[in-house]
Order: sequence, then C-alpha cells, then structure tokens
Amino acid sequence: MTDQTRPPFRLNNSELWTGVLGIALGVFVIRSGLKLKLGTINDPGSGFMLFYIGLLMCAFAVTIILASVTEGGPTFGSRWEGASWGKPGAIIVILSAYAFALEPLGFLISTIPLMLLLLRVIDPVRWTLAIPLAVLAPVGVWWVLKRGLLIQLPSGMFEIG
Amino acid sequence: MDVLVNVMHGFGVALQPVNILYCFIGVFIGTLVGVLPGIGPISAMSLLLPVTLSGTPESGIIMMAGIYYGSMYGGSTTSILVNIPGEAASVVTCIDGHQMAKQGRAGPALGISALGSFIAGTFALVMLMLVAPSLASVAIAFGPAEYASLMVLGLVVLTFLTQGSMAKALLMACIGIVLGLIGLDSITAQPRLTFGRIELIDGIGLVPVVMGLFGLGEVLLNTEQVIKRDIINAKITQLLPNKEDWKASAGPIGRGTILGFFLGILPGGGAVVASFASYALEKRLSKHPERFGHGAIEGVAGPEAANNAAAGGAFIPLMTLGIPPNVVMALLLGAFVIHGLQPGPLLITQNPGLFWGIVASMYIGNLMLLVLNLPLIGMWVKLLKLPYNVLFPLIILFTIIGVYCSSNNVFDVYVMIGFGVIGYFMRKFGYEPAPLVLAFVLGPLLENNLRKSLILSQGNLMTFIERPISAACLLLAVVLLIAPLLPALRRKREMVALDEGA
Amino acid sequence: MLQRNRLALSAAVALAAAATMFGGAARAQDYPTKPITLIVPWPAGGSTDISMRAIADAASKHLGQPIAVDNKGGGGGTVGPATMAAAAKPDGYTISQIPITVFRLPLMQDVSWNPDKDFSYIIHLTGYTFGITTNAESQFKTWKDVVDFAKANPGKVTYATPGTGTSLHVGMEQIAAMAGIKLTQVPFKGGAETNAAVLGNHTMLQADSTGWRPLVDAGKLRLLMVWTDKRSPNFPDAPTLKESGYPMVYDSPFGIAGPKGMDPKIVAKLHDAFKKAIEDPAVIATLAKYDMVPNYKNTEDYKKFVVEVTNSERKVIEGIGLGKKPN
Repeated sequence: MTDQTRPPFRLNNSELWTGVLGIALGVFVIRSGLKLKLGTINDPGSGFMLFYIGLLMCAFAVTIILASVTEGGPTFGSRWEGASWGKPGAIIVILSAYAFALEPLGFLISTIPLMLLLLRVIDPVRWTLAIPLAVLAPVGVWWVLKRGLLIQLPSGMFEIG
Repeated sequence: MDVLVNVMHGFGVALQPVNILYCFIGVFIGTLVGVLPGIGPISAMSLLLPVTLSGTPESGIIMMAGIYYGSMYGGSTTSILVNIPGEAASVVTCIDGHQMAKQGRAGPALGISALGSFIAGTFALVMLMLVAPSLASVAIAFGPAEYASLMVLGLVVLTFLTQGSMAKALLMACIGIVLGLIGLDSITAQPRLTFGRIELIDGIGLVPVVMGLFGLGEVLLNTEQVIKRDIINAKITQLLPNKEDWKASAGPIGRGTILGFFLGILPGGGAVVASFASYALEKRLSKHPERFGHGAIEGVAGPEAANNAAAGGAFIPLMTLGIPPNVVMALLLGAFVIHGLQPGPLLITQNPGLFWGIVASMYIGNLMLLVLNLPLIGMWVKLLKLPYNVLFPLIILFTIIGVYCSSNNVFDVYVMIGFGVIGYFMRKFGYEPAPLVLAFVLGPLLENNLRKSLILSQGNLMTFIERPISAACLLLAVVLLIAPLLPALRRKREMVALDEGA
Repeated sequence: MLQRNRLALSAAVALAAAATMFGGAARAQDYPTKPITLIVPWPAGGSTDISMRAIADAASKHLGQPIAVDNKGGGGGTVGPATMAAAAKPDGYTISQIPITVFRLPLMQDVSWNPDKDFSYIIHLTGYTFGITTNAESQFKTWKDVVDFAKANPGKVTYATPGTGTSLHVGMEQIAAMAGIKLTQVPFKGGAETNAAVLGNHTMLQADSTGWRPLVDAGKLRLLMVWTDKRSPNFPDAPTLKESGYPMVYDSPFGIAGPKGMDPKIVAKLHDAFKKAIEDPAVIATLAKYDMVPNYKNTEDYKKFVVEVTNSERKVIEGIGLGKKPN
C-alpha cells in the first residue's frame, strides 16, 4: 500500500469505493434503526443507538470519500500488486464449499478432504506428507476432543464420528 | 496481623499433598486448553465440574481456579505465534506480539507475556488478600450510568489504537458496534438485524469474529506471498527477553497490573477495557509511539499483565458478594454451589480455610505455571519453523475447531469463515480489525447501560454528570480527546498517526 | 504413477481404519440400543445444565444406555429445541430440555417452530425458585410497603430483572396488574448483574432466581416474597405469592420432549426412566442446591399444561405490549 504517488482523481480509486460501501452500510443501519423505533429520551427504543451510529458511519464514510477525491489513493490494481490473489481466492472457495459440507457430511468426512485440498492446491506439499497430515490431524483432534473433553464434533448424516 | 495468620493458615491448606496435586492438574489442563483458542477454560471447567464432587470442596475449587488462571497464561500463545486470539483481551496481544514473531522475536514475546503474567498474577493475589473485603463495594458502586461513562472512556481509547487513517478506524468501530447490537435487544426483547435467523437471536459470537478477522484473515493475506515460503523470519536469536526488553517492559507491566486489577473487579467488560487501555496508555507514554504496531515489546507486556491482573481482580466480586463478573467465574460459582457452599459476604468468615487455602494455592499455581510455561517457549518457537504451506492448513483446522467448540454450533463456523474473508479485504484496503473488535465488545454494553440509566433517571441526562464516578470517567474521556489538540502535545499525536498506510 | 498408487493405498488404509473405528450404527429391535443425546439449550455449568446432567445420569441407569448431554445454547434456550424439531429423527435418540421460552417466544415473534405441534412431550420435571428482594437498608419491609409506595408514586418503583420477556419480567407485570400498581422494569443481563443493581441501590427491587441466596443469608438483601407453590425450606419467613393475595405460582417450569411423531412406546420408556430419576434422592439433593423441587407431570398432563401456559402467557404478554406485531 504505497501512498507516495498521488494520482489525479480516478474512478478505480479503491478508497473511493470502500467509502461508498461505508455510506451504503450506514444508510442501511439508519433505516434499520428507524424501523426498530427510536423511542423517547426517558425510554430509548431498540433503534436509538443504531440510528445514531448509522449517521456517524455516513459521516466517516464521507470523510474517506472526500480524502480520496482531494488526495487520491491507491487503485484496486495496486492493492494486489505483486500478490498472487488466486491463492487466497482458492482458499475462500474451498472454505465456502467446506461450510456447506460440514453439517450434512460431518466433521471427519468433510475435514479430511479440506485439509488435503489446502495442502495440495495452494502451495503443494508432497503427497507423502500431505496425506498422513490430512488424515491424522483431524482424526487426532477429533479423538482428543471426543475422549478427553467429551466434545462431540458434528457427525453428519452418516453418523461417522 | 490477622492477615499473616490467615495466610499461614491458607498455605497450611494449600500445601497438603492432595491439594498440590489438584492444583497441578488444574494448571496443567489450563495450560493445555488455554493454548487452543476458542476451546478455553469454559468447556474444560464444565466438564470437570462433576469430577470435583468426589474430593473435598477445597481441592475441587483449587483445581477449577487452576484451570482458569492456567488458561490465562496459554491464551497469548496463539495470538503471538499465528495471530489467532482466543478471546477479546488477547486481540491487543496480536497487534505487536505477532509482529514480534514475524521479526523472529517470538521467544521474547512469549517470555515477557509469561513473566509479565506471573508478576501481575502474584501482585493481584497480594491485593486480593489485603483488600478483597474492602473493595467489594467498588463492584456495586458501578450502576448503569457509571458503566455507560466507563464504556465511553473505553471507546475513546480506540483513537489510540489506530495506526492509519482515523476516519477508517472510526468507521470500523461503528461497524463493530452495529455487529455487537445484532440479536435480541435485552431491553425490549425485539430481534435486531437478525434477518429471521434463529442463530442470530443471541447475537454473533465474539470467538468466531476475532478468529475470523485475525486468524483466517491473516492466513489469507499470507498465502498471497507464500512464494517466499517462510512468512516468519527463521533467524531466531534469543528465546527469552534480554536486559533491554526488561528495561522497556518493567513500566508497562507495573502500570498494566494496577490498571488490570482495578478494572478486573468490575463485572462485565472490565478485563477487556483493561488490556486495551493498557496498550493505549503505553503508546501514549512511549517516547517512540511509532514503534507500536511494528513489534514493540511494551505493547505485549502491558496488556498481558493487565489481562492477568484482571483475572485476579475478578475473584473479588465472586468471593465477597457471590457476583461472578464473567462466564468463567459463573462456572466457578457453580463449583462452589455443587459443594454446598455459597460464595458471598459470609464465605470468608464462615470458611476461612477455604478462602485462604484457595488464595494460597493460587500462589503455588502461579509458580507452577511459570515452571511449566518457560520450557514450552522453545517448543512453540520451533513450531514456527514449519514451512508455511504445512502450517496454514493446520491453522485453519484449529480455528474451525476452536470456533465450533466455543458454542457447539456449525453456524459459528460459517460466521468465522465469513469474517475471515471480510478481514482479508479489510486489510487489503487499509482498514484495521482491532477497533472493530473493541467496539464490538464495548458498544452493546454502552448502549444497554445508556438506555438503562435513562430509564432509571427518567430521561435526565444530568445523571451522567451528577454521579461522581461517571463524571470522572467522562472528564477523563474529554481530556484524552482534547489533549492531542493542545499545542504542546500536538507533535506527539502526529507521530502516532504518522505511519499512515502501514 | 507410483505416487498415484500410494495415494490410493493411503486412502484405502484410512478408510479401513475409519470403518473399524466407528463401526456401523446397528439397528435393533429394543430401544435404546445406543447412547441417547440430550440437548440442553443452556451453556455448560449453569444451574439448568448441572441439574439436567444429574437427572440424565440417573435416568441413564434405568435405560441401560448412556445419555450424552449436548449444550446447544442460544435464543434464550430455544435454538436447541428448535434445531431438534427441525432436524432430528423422532427415534428417541435425540431429546431436548424444553424451557418455557419455547412456548413464550412464539407469542412475541415469528419463529420456526410451533410448540403445539412440533414436539413429542415426554415428561415434566421441575422448575426454579424465584423471589423478590430489596436492599436491607431499604424502606420496604414487606411487599405491602412496596404496593403502598407504588400507589402513591406510580412508576417510581424500579425493579431489576435478568431480561425483558423473562419469567421474572412477565411475572412482575402480572403481579403489578393484579395489585393495580405501575412499576418500572430495568432489564439486566443475567442474575449476577441484578444482584449488583439492588445491592448498589441502583434499582429498588430485584426479581430473580435464587442467585440472591448468599446475600439474603448475609443480611445484605431482604427477601420480600417467593413465587413457589409452598414456602421454601431455605427461607421459611418469606411468604409465597398465594399468601400475599396473588393466586399464582411462577416457577418457569421445564421438562423434556423429542421431535414430533415419536413412537408412544419409546415415549413411555423415556418417561419411566426420567420419572425414576427425579425420585432419586441424589438427584433431589442436587436440585435442592439450586432451590429446585421436582414437579412431576406425566406425558398427558404435560401436553395439557403446554396449552394452559400458552394461553395464560398470551394475555400477559399482550397486556405488557410484547405481543407479536401483526406485520
């Protein structure tokens, strides 16, 4: 994140768009606050705090946007300069898939493939290390939790684990 | 010299072989579960609760207490090594602790946090013996108005946590407050921002949020650059803090201990405010505030001491009033009750052997912990030598398990993954997660107490100024806000904010 | 190629190991043939958790299979039962503690379950002891003093509860309505905070379960009345609601249930085991530590009770403006 260069106002300025996102969130919070009722001063309602926090959020977001217009800021591209964005992207995709699989399949059936994918896809570890690690780490933790601490990890529809 | 007689009596109880054994089991289990973020003392204590039934009340409670303060020692380990905080108070330790680890100084970071914890823990115990009964009134002097003002003070501390843009930090804090408000409003029983999901009725858990934002977010950020293979500098020069480290840490440990002890007495949020406040205080006092956030040892020593002193202070409301200030203390209360004892104003007079025995055992336990933890440092540091492509799947595995165990809910795993992604993008765009977490914890407390005090005062805002404790907190908050604007101090504040875009 | 083979081999070994480790879930004729999961929708270590563990322990001896307690907290004790109603098979191997919020929350907002239809009620077990306390230095010596003061100063009497919509809040409002007085509720989070509130004179009264016991024993708080059926043996001087002229008992009762559509024979087996459990002296002793008394209702009575509770609560909840908004 190098801020030395101050380019003229550009639409792909990342500061600008995070600020816009901030305003959008702020407006949403204000609306939720209004919907939940502000109440009165001697009995403030559920939306009281949300409403004012929403206002503050908009104010801070506007400050960020103003700064981005006057001072410029790093572009989206420069944020990822020299970084291989594919790897975190792949992890996010794998974890999302895992999130869907965890409940129906259970901890062991879903976590062993997860570990294997993480070990092999992102920055490959050799198979002879990846497989034992992917199997032993989840099974080991599962066993310790189940026997030692009596914590039942999700067993899923096949009731394995 | 009643106290001395009592202390001797207490050591008499604590030094019985069976009690030493239970104390050791307790601190040993505590160390183990403390290292695993998320699992924490709560599950271990609730599981072992029935086991303690077989022994005497003393040994059972000595073991339970051992698990509690034992886990406090281990709590900072994953924060420093892999940037995974297990609880809100450890979030501060992440900021500079993990930076130290990245610079190859994991050893001194772990060492100072263990030794700082020991010093703070011991001091808290001395205070507990000397002043426990007289400090009971402090815990109840804080009503809704006082809490509301204390939370305002806590949120002002936020402005000292930031390294980059103040507007961004404050926006993050607002988002933290909003996230904290999700769930059933305890005042009107209305669901807020739950989107019809029953899992959100109790709000978002702290553990999935911090483990996602810090642990998983950090992993995602690191994997971008794994070409270098080792994120953490392999050159590890020393395992323990050196003389310079000690010189830098002595003050922070002392101040953190006092701050932590007194704030720890307050039920709800005390320990968290203490650790954040200690960090802010050290940054403010430091001659080189720009070092904070880049591996300053003071930023580890102070908050860790505060955290552990708060754990000692937390015993005061429990032992003297029967009011548990946090969930773990509520479990300890359960341990008392299961043995037919009721902690409260009568406990110390009716069961002196029990009270003094427990306190004395904590001295012994703290010593054991030091002996147990110092050799472990070498082992933890070696863990960092694992290549990152092997380490990061394990980190992910442990965050998933830690999050699941904190609530036994798969939904929390989703929340953690979601916040991991958010945390990654936040970092990419220069937004810091620490203000979000502090506001997430304090925001709901502020809202709740503000509304309760307005109900009690029937809408009279003067209540915050008429009450002396509340007025003092607000005054201090104002001073903290205005001080940077005064010309003499101005330059310092600019130094703090200088490292924009770090 | 070699690597491929090794992969296949390792996978096969892992699978075989897994198979021997877990064994198959054997189906059998006689219930129960495997451990039963009891969902306790509260955090581990609390009073409900400890008492349910004691009861489950005793019941498992009569069933001949262990009962594993699964703490699934959240939603004021409703997430656990709701998850069970939605996902578990009615085979008797997943049952849940049913706190009163399962009946009350549907009156206050839209929920995913219907308390009348989605559960197979098994047995009613016990309830909590609630009471009203005030600071020992307070001007209120009896509940009548409170009523007199409140009549002269409407809305000035403040009371701390562990939360809006809890049994304590609903109960206090019901009492206030009967007495014709107006009180101001200050909702705290949990019992520890209400103790501090009344001790520190932040509120005038406290309505809570027996977390106040040590403070009452020490003479720091004064117990004005208890909400149980009979006077509590631990506090013989405190009058009950009935004695004070309010014909009610308020004890936030709880029992256990399974998902809808359970075989009546399995229900009967579970009922018998849990009935014996709450008759066990060791269980009664554990319950007494939390001032709980067994309150047995059989399957049929429990079902009737659910309907009664829902109807009486509906009136109160609508009366205090917490009812579900039609939209």
